[in-house]
Amino acid sequence: MSGGLDARLAALGEAASLAEGRLDPAVVADAKAVTAKAGARLGLGLESTVVALAGPTGAGKSQLFNALTGTELAAVGRRRPTTSIAQAATWGDGADPLLDWLEIPRRHRLDAAELDGLVLLDLPDFDSVEAAHRLEVDRVVALADLVVWVVDPQKYADAALHDRYLRPLASHAAAMALVLNQSDLLLAPEVATWRRDAERLLAEDGLRDVPLVVLSARTGDGLPDLRRLLAARVAAREAALTRLAADVDAAARALGSSCEGSARGVQRDDRARLVASLEDAAGVPAVVRAVDAAHRRRGALATGWPFVRWLRRLRPDPLRRFRLPETPQPNVRTSLPPATDVQHAQVATATRRLADRASDGLAPPWPTLVRAAATATERETADRLDRAVAGADLQTRAPLWWKAANALQRLLALAVAAGAVWLLGLAVLGYLRVDDVVPVPEFRDIPIPTWLLVGGAVAGIALAVLARIVNGFGARRRARAAGSSLRKRVDEVAQELVVAPVEAELDAHSRLCAAVATAAGDRKGLSSMLRR
Amino acid sequence: MSTDLSAALARLRDALAAVRLDLELPGAGQARRVRDDLVAQVDDYLLPRLRQMDAPVLMVVGGSTGAGKSTLVNSLVGSEVSPAGVLRPTTRAPVLACHPDDLRWFEDQRVLPGLARTTGGTPDAGTLHLVPTSALPEGLALLDSPDIDSVLAENRALANQLLAAADAWLFVTTAARYADAVPWEFLHAARDRGTSLSVVLNRVPADADREVPAHLQEMLRERGLTGVDLLVVAESALADGRIPEGPLAPVRRWLDTLAADAEARAGLIRRTLRGAVASLPARAGAVERAAVEQLATAGELRSDVDAAYAEAVREVDAALRSGSLLRGEVLARWHEVVGTGDFMRAIESRVGVVRDRLRSLLTNSPSAEHELQVAVENRVEAVIRAAGEHAAERAARVWRERPSGHALLAEAPELERASPRLTAATEDEVRNWQTFVFDLVRREGAERRMAARVASLGVNGAGLAVMLAVFAHTGGLTGAEVVVAGGTSAVGQRLLEAILGDQAVRTLATRAREDLVERVERLLREDAARFEARLDAMAPDAEAYAELRAATDAVRRAS
Repeated sequence: MSGGLDARLAALGEAASLAEGRLDPAVVADAKAVTAKAGARLGLGLESTVVALAGPTGAGKSQLFNALTGTELAAVGRRRPTTSIAQAATWGDGADPLLDWLEIPRRHRLDAAELDGLVLLDLPDFDSVEAAHRLEVDRVVALADLVVWVVDPQKYADAALHDRYLRPLASHAAAMALVLNQSDLLLAPEVATWRRDAERLLAEDGLRDVPLVVLSARTGDGLPDLRRLLAARVAAREAALTRLAADVDAAARALGSSCEGSARGVQRDDRARLVASLEDAAGVPAVVRAVDAAHRRRGALATGWPFVRWLRRLRPDPLRRFRLPETPQPNVRTSLPPATDVQHAQVATATRRLADRASDGLAPPWPTLVRAAATATERETADRLDRAVAGADLQTRAPLWWKAANALQRLLALAVAAGAVWLLGLAVLGYLRVDDVVPVPEFRDIPIPTWLLVGGAVAGIALAVLARIVNGFGARRRARAAGSSLRKRVDEVAQELVVAPVEAELDAHSRLCAAVATAAGDRKGLSSMLRR
Repeated sequence: MSTDLSAALARLRDALAAVRLDLELPGAGQARRVRDDLVAQVDDYLLPRLRQMDAPVLMVVGGSTGAGKSTLVNSLVGSEVSPAGVLRPTTRAPVLACHPDDLRWFEDQRVLPGLARTTGGTPDAGTLHLVPTSALPEGLALLDSPDIDSVLAENRALANQLLAAADAWLFVTTAARYADAVPWEFLHAARDRGTSLSVVLNRVPADADREVPAHLQEMLRERGLTGVDLLVVAESALADGRIPEGPLAPVRRWLDTLAADAEARAGLIRRTLRGAVASLPARAGAVERAAVEQLATAGELRSDVDAAYAEAVREVDAALRSGSLLRGEVLARWHEVVGTGDFMRAIESRVGVVRDRLRSLLTNSPSAEHELQVAVENRVEAVIRAAGEHAAERAARVWRERPSGHALLAEAPELERASPRLTAATEDEVRNWQTFVFDLVRREGAERRMAARVASLGVNGAGLAVMLAVFAHTGGLTGAEVVVAGGTSAVGQRLLEAILGDQAVRTLATRAREDLVERVERLLREDAARFEARLDAMAPDAEAYAELRAATDAVRRAS
C-alpha cells in the first residue's frame, strides 16, 4: 500500500508543481503541504499510530483520555475550557521523534501490550472563547493519523463541529471516528435515538462510514468498544497510510477542480490566419515584390543590351533599399517599414482567436492562462519577424547563364562597335574618294561591317529581349521561392511565439489532470470528481 | 416624539437596506451582518414596539442547542408547549406562549411580520407557533427560539431574527456550554443592541455550583455585561420532562417578580427601547464606514477600467493619426480605383487626365471602389477590435491585483476578453460611419462647397477620398512613405495629394474623424460598461451613502 501511496504522492507533487503559478495559490500550497507532511510522516515510520482526541469544550476529552490511559494525567474540571495545552500518552517506545514532529512537549510513557504503538493525544477544545485553542486543534488535526471526535448529548449537533471540521473533512472518513460520550446522562432508549440521529448527521456530512462508539468515560460503559477499535487500528499499522491517502485524495481533488472538459487544441485555420497576419506584419509581400524586382533589375544589368542597360542603374536596387542581406543573416536589421498599427491589431486579434479557440471547453482559469501564454511575447514579435525576414534565403544568386549571356552581349557589342568603326572608316575613305582602294569584303552582297553593325545590334537586342523574358520567369520563380522561404520562417516564429506556448499550456493542463487522476488513486475517484 | 422617531427609523431602515456592501473587502462580511441586523431590528422590534408601547413584554428564550431552552419554557409554563428531547436541534419552529388575553397582540403581523402563525397541533418549521396558557401572567410572553449554533443554518438565522425582536433575552446556557464562542457572540450582540439580558445557567452539577457561576460572572464582567441577572439552575433529574420546582426556583422567582410588577415591565420595555435606539447611530456608523470603504474601492476599480479603456481610445486615435490605416491594402485598392496598372505607372500624367479616367472608371467599375470601401472598413474594425481586447485584458490585469477586483473577476471570467458583441457592434458602427461620411459629402456637395475636382469624383468617390483624408490628414503621411508602403505611382499620389490639399476635404475629414472617434468611444464605453455593471451590482452608490448619513443624523436628532 505504501508503494501505491508513494506513486500517488509523486503524482501529487507533479500536479502541484504544474499548478504553481497557474491555479489558486492556496490550493497549490495545500497540496505542497500534504506532500511535505506525507514525506515527514512516512519518514517517522509506521510503528506508531497517532490518535487525537478532539471535541468541543465539556465533551469529556480529558476524562476519556484518563480512562483510556488509566491515569489522572489530564486535568478534569468544571471550569470551561479546561485543557489548554495538548498532551500525549505513548504506549511502547520510539514515539519521541514523532512527538517532536507533532510539537507536543508534554508526554507520558505507558505500557500495555494490547495498545503497543499507540500515541494518544488529548487536545484542547475548538469551540470556546479561547481562539488559541482552535488553532492548536487545527494544527494537530491536520497531522494525526486518526482523529477521534468526542461529543456529548448537548453538543453533538453543533455547527462548530459539523460546519468547521466534519464536512470539510468528508474525504477523511477512514481517518476519523466519532465518540458519543456521557451516555450515562441519558436513558437507554434515548441513547439509541441519539445514536441514530448522530448517524443521520454524519451521513449528511458525507461521512457515512465513520465508526461510531457510544460510551461513558465516567462509568466506563462502552469504553472497551473504543479500546478494541484503537487496538485494531494500532495493530494494523495502516492508520498513517490511510490518513495520508485521504489527504492526498483531498489535495488532488482540490487541484483537479478545473479539470473537467477538454481543450479543442490549436485549430488549423486559426494557425493559418495567424501566420497570414504575421506575414503581412513582417512585410513579406513587400519583400517578395522586392525580390522579383531586384532579379529583373539585376538580370537586366547582366544580360540587357549593353548600350542602354546602364540606365537601370539610375533606379535603386529594391533589396538594398530595404537593407535585405544577400545571404541569410538573421542578426542584421533590415529597414523594412515597421508593421503598422493595423497589422499589429490583426496579429493581436489572430493570436487571441487562436488561443481562445484552442482553450475552448476548458474550465476557468485555463482559458485565461492559455491567452496569457499566447500573448506573453507580444512585444518581441516585431523583432523576431524582422530577424526571420533577414534570415530568409531570398534567392539572390546570379544564375550561371547570365555570365554567358553577358559575354555574348559584350561580343555582340564589340561586333557592333567594330562594324561602326569600320563603316566610319569607310565613310572617311568615301569622303576622301579613295574607297575603292580598300576592298570591302561582302557576304551575300552586303558588306561585312554592315553585317557587324546591324546584325550585332539586332542580335544584341533580341538576346536582351529573350533574356528579359527568361528573367521574368526567373524572377517570378525566385519570388515564389523567397516567399515560401519567408513563410516558412514566419511560420517558425508563429510556432515559437504563439503556438508552442499555447500547446505547452494545454499540455500542462492535460499533464496536471493526469497527475491529479493518478494522485486521486483510482479511476472511480477521478470520474466522480469529474462529475462534480 | 414617537412618530418622529418612527419616521426616522423607517427612513434609516430603508437607507440601510439600500446600501450594497458586496465588494470583498476586509471587514465587509461583518459590516453586511451589522446592516442586516439593523434592518431586522428596526422591522421586527423598534417599529412595532414604538407603535404599541403597551403591548406585552416579549421575552425570547435563546441559547445553544441542547442547553434546555424548551425544557425551561415547559417547566415555567407547567405544560408541554414546546417539544423537548435528546435530538438536536430540537426546536425547529419558535413557540410563543402567552396569556390568552394577550394573544391578540401576537396574532397579527405586528411583530415578526415575516413569520406565518399557527396554533394547535404540531408546529411546522419556519412558522410562529402560538400557545395561549393561563400559567403565564398577562403582559409577559415567552418565546422559545431555535438554537443559535446547531448545524441547521436556517435555525441560526431564525434565532437571530427572534432575538432581534425581543424586549428582553432570557439566555440559557449550561455548565458545559458557558465558555462556547458562539453564544458569547450573541451576548456581545445583546450588549451592542442595548437589549435587557438575563442569563440562566442550566444543569449545574452539585460539585460545581460555586466555581462555574463565579467563572461565568467573571466572564460577563470582563466582557462589559454588567447588571445582568444570573439565574443558576442546578442539575437534576427531570420529573415528567420538567425541571423540578426546587432547582427552578431562582428563575421562577425572577419571572414572578417581573409578572407582578407592571411598572417594572414598562421600565424594561423602555430601557431596551432606549438602549436599542441609542445603539443605532454607532452601528449605522459602522455600516457607513464600510460604505465609504466600498465606495472608495469601487471608485478605484472604476478608474482602473476608465484608464484601461481611455488608453484603448488613445490607441485607436493614434492608429488613425499615424496614417497606418492608409498603407498596404487600402492604398493598393486606391490605385485600382484610380486605375493605375503597370502601364499607367510608367506614364507621368497630369491630374486632370487621371480625373477624367477616374470618372469613367468610377462609372464603369464600381467594384474597385467597393473593394476600397471594404478595405477601409476592415482596417478600422481590426484596430478597434484589438483595442477592445487590449483594454479588457488591461482592466482585468489591474483588477486581479486588488483582492476585491480578483473576487469580482472570479465570478465573471468573461470580463477578461472583449465582449462577444464587440465585433458585430464594431462592424455596424464602422458601416454607419461610412454612411455618415457619404451623407456628409452629399450635403456638402449640394451646397457646392467642394472644389470641382473633388466633386467630380461623385459622391462615393469623394466620400472615399474623405475617408482616406481622415487617415492621412494629420498623420503626416509623406509622399516618400506612400511610395514605400504602396509601391505607388506618382499618379495616385498626386491625385491623393490634390485631394488632401483641398480645404473642403480637410474640413470634411476633420468632422468625419471626430464622428469616428466618438463612435469608437461609444463602442468601447459599452464594453467598459460590463465592468461597471458588476461594480454597480456590488458597491453602494453615493446617493445611498448620503441618504444613510442623513437618516442616521435624523435618528440621532429624533431620539
